[in-house]
Amino acid sequence: MKGNIIKYAQDNIDTDVIIPGQYLKVHDYAELATHAMEGLDPDFHSKVKEGDFILAGKNFGCGSSREHAPIALSHSGIKAILALSFARIFYRNAVDGAFLLPIEIDKDAYDGISEGDEIEIILSTNEIKNITKNQTYKMKPFSEIIGKIIAAGGLFKYKPDQD
Amino acid sequence: MGKTLFEKIWDSHVVVEKQNGPSLIYVDRHLVHEVTSPQAFDGLRVNKRKVRRTDLTIATMDHNVPTNNRALPILDQTSAVQIRTLEKNCKDFGIKLFDINSPNQGIVHVIGPQLGITLPGSTIVCGDSHTSTHGAFGALAFGIGTSDVEHVLASQTLWLEKPKPFEIRIEGKRKNPHAVTAKDIVLSIIKNIGTGGGTGTIIEYRGQGITDLSMEQRMTICNMSIEAGARAGLIAPDEQTFDYLRGRQYTPKNYESLVDYWKESLKTDNDAKFEKQYTLHIDNIAPQVSWGTNPGMTCDVTESVPSPDEFSKGDPNQKKGAEKALDYMDLKPGTPITDIKIDRVFIGSCTNARLEDLIEASKVIKEQKISTNVRAMVVPGSQMVKKQAEEMGLDKIFINANFEWRESGCSMCLGMNPDILSPGERCASTSNRNFEGRQGTGGRTHLVSPVMAAAAAIKGHFVDVRELDLK
Repeated sequence: MKGNIIKYAQDNIDTDVIIPGQYLKVHDYAELATHAMEGLDPDFHSKVKEGDFILAGKNFGCGSSREHAPIALSHSGIKAILALSFARIFYRNAVDGAFLLPIEIDKDAYDGISEGDEIEIILSTNEIKNITKNQTYKMKPFSEIIGKIIAAGGLFKYKPDQD
Repeated sequence: MGKTLFEKIWDSHVVVEKQNGPSLIYVDRHLVHEVTSPQAFDGLRVNKRKVRRTDLTIATMDHNVPTNNRALPILDQTSAVQIRTLEKNCKDFGIKLFDINSPNQGIVHVIGPQLGITLPGSTIVCGDSHTSTHGAFGALAFGIGTSDVEHVLASQTLWLEKPKPFEIRIEGKRKNPHAVTAKDIVLSIIKNIGTGGGTGTIIEYRGQGITDLSMEQRMTICNMSIEAGARAGLIAPDEQTFDYLRGRQYTPKNYESLVDYWKESLKTDNDAKFEKQYTLHIDNIAPQVSWGTNPGMTCDVTESVPSPDEFSKGDPNQKKGAEKALDYMDLKPGTPITDIKIDRVFIGSCTNARLEDLIEASKVIKEQKISTNVRAMVVPGSQMVKKQAEEMGLDKIFINANFEWRESGCSMCLGMNPDILSPGERCASTSNRNFEGRQGTGGRTHLVSPVMAAAAAIKGHFVDVRELDLK
């Protein structure tokens, strides 16, 4: 999986800035996507491209349990969030609907990757390759079941009986 | 080795246990509101599924509801649609709904305990992060997203990785419990452990500082566990807990035998092990005021706005966060908190809009009027709280002081209904989140207790409520 980075070098990016409360009444996902990150970066919608990744600091997605947050990002074209850590409800929502990959990274990746860098996420080896800078970093592997839910395409497509 | 209270509740609800993975947990109560449920019901329809336990599922509308005259039509059409959709979904699937005209309507986390739906030792979920509130009764209660709402509607169960138990001890005694409140305790905790301090854990609050609190104050503490990143917070039930729930509308008929069982079973063993521990001594804590854009950016009312260097203690991201927050909040380091002038006051939300909160806030007023520069509103947490407050004459105290006295709902806590801040407006708010834009685009939120909010309304700026007579 390859894409370019949109970097927000900050901690505690909350779900109220990812998708402000006034849009929780919007049920059309394409329209929801036009308001993604509006509370933090009003230019986000004009700069995001299909297949991009977001890079951020600690506690990404803290706050409200609104699943609208990963949905809005996913329908903007974002395929993965690379962050130092995630708030748990956001992480779970992202996986449940297979909206995007929540990838926990370390300080090396966080510092090493810059805005616009082209990145390849290699799930089979739990590596992140920075194609622009020719560097490789480790990512935290998904736990077994999270990996299976992602591979199945979300919670409702995952069949635990097959284990 | 002994078990913690959380582990005991967990063990009694495991349906399927997996090695190295999440377990399937049974859900005793599922609370539903209008914002996070529509897609879940749509999912049931698409897959031709029913709601598995309609008798354990309870719905109300709280996020979108206007707080002015309920006899008027809802002007915001998208809100009206979301409210009507919940009505239709509850009718189609056979779920009990407390609708906008019900005397039981209110913020879902306020009505659960008031109606006796929240019970000790139970598992409670809701598509809302502040579900942690119900932990005050010794329930394992946490927020979930819409996919999980659908999963619970369909199966009454949830896959969950077992969180780690985290002990937070509150020791000591407050010198002035009317001025230094549960809100100040929980903001102090978050200030100290940080907004990610509880990530991946279930907090159990223990110690004299907790057992001294009323049930409504305990709810304020558990409510904000999520602001420390925890999945949930809980408190072992005691006589106060059992007294609170006795004789409520939905309290089970065999209540006394349940109480006997709870007394035996719902406590952490002496030799149980917590993965993490933190202790807060509350003898000398001050009223708290948030100055930034997350609940961890909080200080004593006697302090000044910190500089990003002071706040960050060398962490570059924290420094950048503080700089950004000060810019958004239009505050300069070194400004005394008591010099900050406010435009709006919001007394409401699932954190601080129960009867006791309104009683305490009303004591500040003493026939004074709010500052001429301030617009202030009281939004009771439920219609039942509103009625009880009116029976005590609290509405008149607030109205005479020029507060707006409104109908119940989430209101200005998250700005989904017409109650929002205008860009640049500064608000003393009893809610739980001071995130950018949370109360309206460009709005600036300072989190405080109900007494601090009422005092700020009267003076037009923050004051140390320890200096007031609050008897």
